[in-house]
Amino acid sequence: MSARDAFVYALLGVGTGAEVLACLGVVAMRDAFDRLHYVAPSTLGAILIAAAVWVRSGPSFISVKAALLAAFLLIASPALAHGTARASRISAKGDWRRQRGEGIEVEEP
Amino acid sequence: MNEWQVAATILIAALAPCGWVCMRRSFAEGVVALQLAGTLASLALLLLAEGEGRQPFADLALVLAALSFAGTLVFLRFLERQR
Repeated sequence: MSARDAFVYALLGVGTGAEVLACLGVVAMRDAFDRLHYVAPSTLGAILIAAAVWVRSGPSFISVKAALLAAFLLIASPALAHGTARASRISAKGDWRRQRGEGIEVEEP
Repeated sequence: MNEWQVAATILIAALAPCGWVCMRRSFAEGVVALQLAGTLASLALLLLAEGEGRQPFADLALVLAALSFAGTLVFLRFLERQR
């Protein structure tokens, strides 16, 4: 096994592990906002898997497509996470902005 | 079975818990699981393309990622209207 093979295995293993971790987090958490935090590692996994494809195949069509996929997920995933949090709050409270009585109360000295 | 196919199998297996969240939890939580499932399925297709040595299959991964993004946006619109 060459050093390049070992590097590919490491990237692939860590990338797949990040995806599994994201999946376990989404299943184990209590509500939608907690679950949303665990979607982020899936983007990291996508980048690592695309890097593994790039290291194995070198500059080729599939490597470019893998990089495009990782770049798309890197941009789309945070946008969707923001949109999901916003839509959940609108669904629960009627408005995404801070409601009366919410937030940290600071006592005057 | 090579390493790419093994990784793709793990990602496809990880779709099952996402499906469980979609079925058993609230709409908002289901949308979060759907978002993750879209990413998992796209990466599984990419890994299968690499594992099978068929470069055009990677197009499916790109198309699925784009359509999954658009589909989740539609579900978010429904979620906003649900009170």
